[in-house]
Amino acid sequence: MKNSFGPGALALLNEIKTKYPTGRAAIMPALYVAQEEFGWLMPEALEAVADCLELPEMTVRSTATFYSMYRHRKAGRNVIRICTNVSCMVLGARTLKGVLEGLYGVAPGGVSPDGRFSLEIADCIGACGSGPAMLVNDDLHTGLDAKKIIEVLENYK
Amino acid sequence: MISITINGKKINIEGPSTILEAAKKNGIDIPVLCHHPALELWGGCRMCLVEIEKMPRLQTSCTVPVADGMTVYTETPRVVAARKAMLEFLLINHPLQCPTCDKAGECALQDLTVRYGAVAGRFEEGKRTFPENVDDPIVVRNMERCIMCTRCVRMCDGVQGAFAIGVVGRGARSHVEPFSGGRYNCEYCGNCLNVCPVGAIMSRLHRYTYRPWQMDKTVRTICPFCGVGCTLSLEIRGDAIQKVSPAFGTGVNNGLLCGRGMFGYGYVGSPERLKTPLLRKNGKLEPASWDEALALAASRLLEIKNRYGGQAIGGIAGSRCTNEENYAFQKFLRAGFGSNNIDSVARLGLLHAQNLLEGVFGQGAAANVIQGIPRSDAVLIAACDPTRTNPVMGLQVRAAAKAGKKVVTIGHAQGLNRHRTHSLPAAFGTEGIALAGLLRELLRTKKFLPGENPELEAAIRGFELPELEEVEMLTGVPPAVITGAASALKDAATSSIIAGRELAASMDARRNFMLLAAIGYILNSRFFLISENPNEQGLIDMGCAPDILPGGRPLTLQTFRERCEQEWGGKLNPEPGLTLMEMFEQAGDTVRAMYIMGENPAFNLPGRKKVKEALGKLDFLVVQDIFMTETASLADIVLPSKAWSEKEGTYTNLEKRVQRLRKALEKDKNQESGMEDWRILAGIGKRAGLNNMSYAASSDIIGEIARVSPLHTGLGLEDLEEDGMMWPYKGKPLRMGGRVPPLPSLRAMASSLDAARVVLEKTLFHSGTLSRHSGALLDIMSGPEARMSPETAGQLGIPEGGKVKISTADGEMVLKAQIEKGLPAGAVFAGNNFGEAGSLGLFGYHLEPESKTPVLTVSDLKIALFEGHIP
Ligand code: SF4
Ligand code: SF4
Ligand code: SF4
Ligand code: FES
Ligand code: FES
Repeated sequence: MKNSFGPGALALLNEIKTKYPTGRAAIMPALYVAQEEFGWLMPEALEAVADCLELPEMTVRSTATFYSMYRHRKAGRNVIRICTNVSCMVLGARTLKGVLEGLYGVAPGGVSPDGRFSLEIADCIGACGSGPAMLVNDDLHTGLDAKKIIEVLENYK
Repeated sequence: MISITINGKKINIEGPSTILEAAKKNGIDIPVLCHHPALELWGGCRMCLVEIEKMPRLQTSCTVPVADGMTVYTETPRVVAARKAMLEFLLINHPLQCPTCDKAGECALQDLTVRYGAVAGRFEEGKRTFPENVDDPIVVRNMERCIMCTRCVRMCDGVQGAFAIGVVGRGARSHVEPFSGGRYNCEYCGNCLNVCPVGAIMSRLHRYTYRPWQMDKTVRTICPFCGVGCTLSLEIRGDAIQKVSPAFGTGVNNGLLCGRGMFGYGYVGSPERLKTPLLRKNGKLEPASWDEALALAASRLLEIKNRYGGQAIGGIAGSRCTNEENYAFQKFLRAGFGSNNIDSVARLGLLHAQNLLEGVFGQGAAANVIQGIPRSDAVLIAACDPTRTNPVMGLQVRAAAKAGKKVVTIGHAQGLNRHRTHSLPAAFGTEGIALAGLLRELLRTKKFLPGENPELEAAIRGFELPELEEVEMLTGVPPAVITGAASALKDAATSSIIAGRELAASMDARRNFMLLAAIGYILNSRFFLISENPNEQGLIDMGCAPDILPGGRPLTLQTFRERCEQEWGGKLNPEPGLTLMEMFEQAGDTVRAMYIMGENPAFNLPGRKKVKEALGKLDFLVVQDIFMTETASLADIVLPSKAWSEKEGTYTNLEKRVQRLRKALEKDKNQESGMEDWRILAGIGKRAGLNNMSYAASSDIIGEIARVSPLHTGLGLEDLEEDGMMWPYKGKPLRMGGRVPPLPSLRAMASSLDAARVVLEKTLFHSGTLSRHSGALLDIMSGPEARMSPETAGQLGIPEGGKVKISTADGEMVLKAQIEKGLPAGAVFAGNNFGEAGSLGLFGYHLEPESKTPVLTVSDLKIALFEGHIP
C-alpha cells in the first residue's frame, strides 16, 4: 500500500510549507494534497502529512476529522455531494437520492459497486435559490430533477 | 495585594490568581468539570460560572483573574440556573449507567447532578451511542460517557507531551481516541485516566472489582520503580492493592506518574511470590522453617569467617531496599563479620558519576530539585534519555521545552525528539567528544567566565579541546550544529544538566565528567544524575560501597571509623573491600561466601556467564528476595522478604531527598511469611551472637542512622511527613571539591559511525526483572523486543514483525523486531527484562581502572533475520 508522497506532491507540500509560519498552520492545505495523492484520508495519508509537517499524527487526525469536506472514507472516482438542507429538501432532493441508489447502487456514505461514484450528503452548498443542488467533484450542478441528474452524471466516467 | 469579596467574605490575595483559586484557598467551593490544577486553563465546560458585580454576563471563575475590589457571588439563583442548564446539556447524551460504571461514587458529573438536582429530559431524540472499546489492554473507553472536557487531551499533549490522543469528529459525534482508534500504543503513563472527571476512560486493571466507598484505606507512599521517587497513593481493600491513585499537589511529581508507577503494582500480589525460606538439600531448594534457615545462615557465615577471615564474605546491598535495610546490611557485614566487601548496582555508573562531580564541586553536587528543571533557561541532556529511565523527570524536561526554554540533547534521546530545540546526534560512545566540541565553542564565545573559582577556571582554560572539524569526524555532528547549540546555551542565566550511567560507565568517564563539570560551571548549572533504581542514592549514602561509611565518609578516615566502631560495638577492618565485579572475579578464590539482598546479579550484570559461574563456585550463597530470581535459584539459602508495600522505611531519590515508605499491607494475600530485609538480618545477627543487630522496628534503625551518619544528624521520621526532606537534611556535608585534574586526552577513536551496534536500553514499561511479575506491564509489553529504525531494519533485511537473532561472544538471543521511526541509524535497542532474552547477556565488560565500574563491551556482534521458531 502507498505510504508516502510522490515527487509531485512533495514539491507541492514544500511550497505550502513556505507559506505558513508553522506546521500546524499548514495542516489543512497539506491534507488536500494528501487526499489527492492517496484518494482519501486513510491512516497512511495522515501519517504522511504528520511526517512531512513534523507534527504528531494525532494532531493531524484531530484536525482532519473536524471537517466533513475531507474524504474520510474510500471514495469513488467521482464524488457526488448532494445537498439535503432545507431549500434543496423542499425542492425534492430526497427523490434524487433514491434515483442514485436505484441507478448506480450507491447509498449515502458509500461507493457504487463499479467504483465510479461515491455519494456524500452535504450541508448547504450555497445554491439554495436554484436547488436541488449537488457538487460532482468540484463542479456545481443546480436545478436538478430525476432526469437531469442522470444526464449530468453520464458525463462523469 | 488584591482585595476581593466572595459571597460577602472579604479576601486578600497575594500575587496573581484566578477567582477559582482564590475561592478554593478560602474554603469556598466552586464546581468545575474541565478545570484541573495540573492542566492548562481552558474554560470550556462553564460549570464554574459565577456572578461578578458590574459585569453583565456570568464569568468562568477558572479563567478570570481576580482584580482589586471585585465582588463575586458563587451560588446565586442565576448562577445555579446556569449550572443546571449546563448539566442538562451534558445529560442529553450522557447514558444512565451509574449502577454499572466504575466511576460512580467519585464521578464529578454524578456529584454535580446530585448537588443541583436532576432535570427532566426535554428531548425526544435518542442519546448518541458509541460502543465500549476494549481494544487496549489497559484502557477501556466508554465514549458515551465523555463530556468533552478535554482534560485527558490537555494532559497527554500539554503535560505528558506524548500527543497520543485527540478529539476526533465534531459536534455530538466528537469523542476522544488514540490515532489507531483502538489500541493506544502510547507511553501508558495513565495520567489521562487520572484526570478524567467521569467514567469515560478508565483502567481495566481493577474493572468491576470494587466501589470507591468500599476501600478500606488509602496509603500515601513512594513508587518502587525508579529514582525519581514519585509520591502515589495505594488504595487498599482487604489484603490487596486495588489501585494506585495519584496524589496531585504533593510529592516531587505533583501527582504525575509513569506507567510503571501507575500500573506496575501487580507484582506484589503475584502468586509467584516466595512464601517460605528455602534450603538447598541434596542439590534442591526445599522449604524450611525460619528458625532453621536463620540458624543455618548464621552458623555457615560464622564458619566461613572463622576459617578464611571476614574478607572471604562478600555482600551486595539492594537498590530496592530501604535506607534502614541497607544501613543494617553494611553494618552487619562490617561490624558483624569484619568484611568491607560491600557493593551495589550503584557501581554500574551512578557512584562513579557522583564521585567525579563531587570531586569538583563538593558533596551534594547533584542534590537538586527536579521541579527546578523547567525554571532554568536551558537544559542540557548528556547522553541519556530521562523520559525512559526516570520518566517523571523527563516530563520536567518536556515542560521546559513547552515553556520555550532551550533544550539541547547530546546523543540519542528518543523521548525528547519533539521536545528539544537543539540536537547533537553524536554516535554512540562519542557523546563525550561532542561535549568537548560544545565546551570549545562555549569558551570561544563566552570570554568571561564567572570568576568564582579561579583555580577551576585555570584548569578549564588548560583543557586541550579538539577542533570542531575533528569532532565532526569522530561523532558525526557538523560544526554548525555545535555552534548553534552553544549559542543557545551561552546566554542562559540558569541551566540544568542531566547525565546518566552512559557517560560514567565508560573508559572515558573522567574525561566525560570533567567536560560536563566545566560546561556546568560556565553555565551555572544544576546537575541531575539519572538513577534507575528507587534507592540507588540511598545505597551510596548508607555506605554500601567498599570504601565509604554512612554519610559518605571515607572508610580510611580513622576518626570516623572509630566513631562507627563505638556505635556498632565491633572492630572495623580499615582496608577497603572489593567492588561489585571484583567480588565475582574472586569468587571461589578469596571470596568464599556471598550475601545478596534483593538484587539479581546473575541477570542484571554484564558478563552473565561468568557471574553465574562465579556464584556456582562459592561455598555458600544467601539470597533475600521476593521472587525466585536467576540468582536465588543458585543460592544455598533463599529468604523471602517483603515487598515495598508491606514495609516501613525510607528511600533517597535522585534529588537526594529522603522520603517515607508507608506500610499498606500487613502481608499479601498469597504470601505467608516474608520478613522485612532488616528483620532477616537482625534474626541472623542474633543467632550469630552479634550484639548490635537487635532492632524492634525500622524506626529504630533510622534513629541509629541519625546518630551515626554526619549527613543525617538528627533526622527523624517526623521530619519526613510531607514531601520528605532535602539534602543535606540536618547534617553536615563533607567539604571537598575543587579537584580538577587535567583533562585526560581524547583517546584516538576509530570512527565506526556506520557499524551496526546493539544498545542496552531501559524500557519504559519494565523495571529490571520485578516487572515480569506485573500483569499489566506484561500486557503493554509482553516480551523482549529489538527496536530499530526503518532504515536499520532495511539494511539488516528485517521485515516488520520479523524476528532478529543477535549473537556476540557472550551470548545469543532471538527477539521480536519492532520497527519505529525516530531511532538512530545502525542501532538495535534491546532491554534487559526477559529471561533468556535479557540483553545484558550479550555484553562482556572491562573494568574502568579508577572506579572499577564495568564498561560494557560487545565482541563478534552479528545481527540477522531469524526465520525459525523461538524455542
Ligand atoms: S496514557 Fe499517557 S501517553 Fe497514553 S494517552 Fe494517556 S496521557 Fe497520553
Ligand atoms: S475522556 Fe474524560 S477527560 Fe477526556 S474529554 Fe472525555 S470526559 Fe474529559
Ligand atoms: S518516574 Fe520513576 S518513581 Fe515516578 S512513577 Fe515512574 S518509575 Fe515511579
Ligand atoms: S440548502 Fe441546498 S444548497 Fe443551500
Ligand atoms: S471549570 Fe471553568 S469552564 Fe470548565
